[in-house]
Amino acid sequence: MGRTRVVALAGNPNVGKTTLFNALTGMRQHVGNWPGVTVEKKEGKFTYNGETFLVVDLPGTYSLTAHSIDEIITRNFLLNSKPDVVVNVVDVTALMRNLYLTFEILEMGLKNVVIALNKFDLAEKKGIKVDPRRMAEVLGVPVVPISAKSGEGLEELKETIARMARGELKCEPVLPTYDRAVEREIEHISRVLEGTDLAKRYSVRWLAVKLLQRDDDVMKLVLRQLGKEKLDEIMRHIGEVEERYGRSIDLVMASSRYEFIDSLLHRFVEYENVVVTSFTDQLDRVLTHPVYGLIALAIVFYFVFKFVFALGMPLQSLLAKAFSDLGSWLAPHITSSLLRGLVVQGIIGGVGTVLSFFPLVFLMFFALAVLEDTGYMARAALVLEDIMRKFGLSGKSFIPLILGFGCNVPAIMATRSIDDEKARLVTVLINSFIPCSARLSVISFITAVFFSSHRALVALSIYAIAVGVAFLMAWLLSRFVVRGERAPFVMELPEYAVPPWKTVLLHSWERSKEFIKKAGTVILGGAIFMWFLSNYPEPVGTGKSYAEAIGHFLAPYVSLMGLDWKAAVSLLFGVIAKENVIATYGVLYGSKTAIAGAMGQLQAYVLAVVTTLYVPCIATMAAIKGEAGWKWMFFTVAYMIAVASLVGILIWHVGTWL
Amino acid sequence: MNMIVPLSSLRPGERGVVVSITGGARARSRLMAMGLMPGAVVQVVEAYGRGPIIFTVGSTRLAMGRGLAARVLVRKL
Repeated sequence: MGRTRVVALAGNPNVGKTTLFNALTGMRQHVGNWPGVTVEKKEGKFTYNGETFLVVDLPGTYSLTAHSIDEIITRNFLLNSKPDVVVNVVDVTALMRNLYLTFEILEMGLKNVVIALNKFDLAEKKGIKVDPRRMAEVLGVPVVPISAKSGEGLEELKETIARMARGELKCEPVLPTYDRAVEREIEHISRVLEGTDLAKRYSVRWLAVKLLQRDDDVMKLVLRQLGKEKLDEIMRHIGEVEERYGRSIDLVMASSRYEFIDSLLHRFVEYENVVVTSFTDQLDRVLTHPVYGLIALAIVFYFVFKFVFALGMPLQSLLAKAFSDLGSWLAPHITSSLLRGLVVQGIIGGVGTVLSFFPLVFLMFFALAVLEDTGYMARAALVLEDIMRKFGLSGKSFIPLILGFGCNVPAIMATRSIDDEKARLVTVLINSFIPCSARLSVISFITAVFFSSHRALVALSIYAIAVGVAFLMAWLLSRFVVRGERAPFVMELPEYAVPPWKTVLLHSWERSKEFIKKAGTVILGGAIFMWFLSNYPEPVGTGKSYAEAIGHFLAPYVSLMGLDWKAAVSLLFGVIAKENVIATYGVLYGSKTAIAGAMGQLQAYVLAVVTTLYVPCIATMAAIKGEAGWKWMFFTVAYMIAVASLVGILIWHVGTWL
Repeated sequence: MNMIVPLSSLRPGERGVVVSITGGARARSRLMAMGLMPGAVVQVVEAYGRGPIIFTVGSTRLAMGRGLAARVLVRKL
C-alpha cells in the first residue's frame, strides 16, 4: 500500500466546490451558497482502485492575494503543503472570472493541476458551448467536465486525479504574458532572485509577479530571505516602472490577465445568444426591494423561527427530562454520596445540558443551510446591510440576533456565515444580550409574581433594554474595541436553486456534532465546578457551602443595585442556565413563592434586568469560546458583568429617587 | 462621446464599460478578481434609493454598497 495522496480543491465561491467535495468523499461535509462559508480547512477521504486520497476543501476565493484570510489560507496550502494534486473547480457558466483564479494558481508554477469543469450540464441551456478537450490543449492542463450535483463525470475525475498523482499525466500550462514593460520588469526581478534559496522553493516568475503587485506576504518573504537592501532595490525599480505607466501596476496586470484569458477563450468556447427570462431576476425584484424585501424577510424568518423552536424546544425538554430521570434512577445505585453527587449532578447534569441542545442546534443549522443553498440568505443580508452597518454589524448579523431570542448557542454558531471578520466578532460579542427563552422564563416569573398590572409592558421594557444595550454595545465595540477595517460591501448574489437535500442534512448533522464535541468539555467542566461549589463543605441551603460564602462575599457589591446575598447566589447558579436563578431562590427560601415577600417591585425588576444582561450561560460561553477563542469569551463575561452592574445600579438609583 | 460616470449613478437597465477602479488596493484587487476589471461590461439590475446597487458583470450578479460603487468609473453605453 502506498501512502495517502493529498488532493486540494480550489475555486471561486459558489462554483459547487463543496458539493464536489461531498460527492467525492461521501458527503460528510458542508455545502453552502454564501461566499466565504468554508473558513476552516475540511478534509475527507475517497478510495479509487484501492488507492486512498485525502481531499482538502480550501476556502472559496476569487484570487490569491494577501488581502483576506481565505486567500492566504488557500495560497499557503498550495505553496507550502505541496498537495499531490490540485483540483481547480471551474464554473463553466462564468469562465472568464473563474479562469482568473485558475491562472493565479498556475502562475505559482504548479505542475499538478486538474480542472474540474463544473455545471457542465447547465452550459448548453445558457448558450455556452465548450469543448473540454480543446480547452485542455489550449491551457495545457487536464480538463474533466463534471456535474457535482448529479454526479456526472466524477469517475473520470477520480481517474484523472489518480493518474495525475502517479505522474502519468502532463500539466504544462500556458501562463499569462503581460505587456513588454511589465515582462521586462519580471525578467529583471527574476534575475535578482535566481540562485537564491527562495528560487529553490518557489517559482521565480510567481515571486516577481507578486512583488510587482506589492504583495505583503511575498515582500516579507524576500525581506526575511534576502535582506532589506535587496528588497528596497527591487521595490525602487518597480516604483520607477509604475511612474512611467502613470497608473498602478496591479490594475495594468489584471487587465492584461483578462485580455489574455479572453484571447484563449474563443479557441474553445462558443457563446450563443440565448435570451433567458431569468427566474432569479423576477424573484429578486421583490426580495431585494427595500420595502417588499423586508416584508418577505419578516415572513421567512417568522417561519424559520417557528420551525426551529416549535420543533426543537419540546425535544429539548424531553431530552433534559430524560437525563434528569436517568440521574434519579441512577442515584440510589451509587453508595458513596460524594460519587453520587459528582455523577448525577456533575456529569449527567452537564452532559445532559449539552445533549439537550442537540435538536435545537441541528434544526437551526438545517434551516440555515436550506436558506443558504436556495440563495435566499444573500438577499436577506442585502436588504439589511444598510441598517446593520450603522451599528458596526453586517446584514448577515441579523440571523444570529433573531435566533438569540430562542437560544444564544445556535445563534452564536450561526455567525460563521458572516464573512466580514470584524462584523462577525462584534455579532458574537453582543449576542448574549439578546434574551433567550430561558431568560423569558425568569422575566415572566418575576413579572407574574411582582406586578399585578401592566405585566406585558414590564416584560416588554426588559426586552427593549436588552436589545437597546445590544445595539449600543455593537456600536461601541466596533468603534473602540474590535480592531480592523470593515471590508467594503460587495457580495455575489447566487442564482436561486433547489438545495441538494442529502448534503444539507449531512452538513447539519456534521455541524451539530461538532458543537457537541466543542461545547461538551466546557459545559461538563462548568457543571462539575458548580456542583463542587454548591456541595462543599456542606450542601447549599445550610449556609455553609462555598456558593453561599461567595454570595456573602459579593453582597456589598450587589447591594449597590438593591439586591442581597441570596440574589448573588442565585445569579451565580444562573451561569449554568439562566432559569436556575429562580430555582436557586426556591432552594434558599424554601419555596419559589416565598420570593414574593422577600423583595420589593423595584428590586425584582432590577433582578430581572440583571439576570437578562449579566453573563452568558455556560453553554453560550462554550459557543463563544468555539467561535472567537478564550480571550474573547473572558472579555464577554467581564464586559457583560460590567454592563449589567451599570444598568442595575442605574435602574435602582433612578427608581428609588422616583 | 460618452460620459465617464461612477457606477453608482447608473439607473436600472443601463449599461457601462468599466474604465477604472479607484480606492484602496484591497478593495480593488477583490473587485477585479470578481470580474469587475477595466473593459468589463456591467448592467445595472436594481438600484433603490441610496441602498446597495445590484448589477451583472458577465454571468455574475453582484450587490455593492453605494460608497464602493462611486469609486468604480464606467463609460456609459
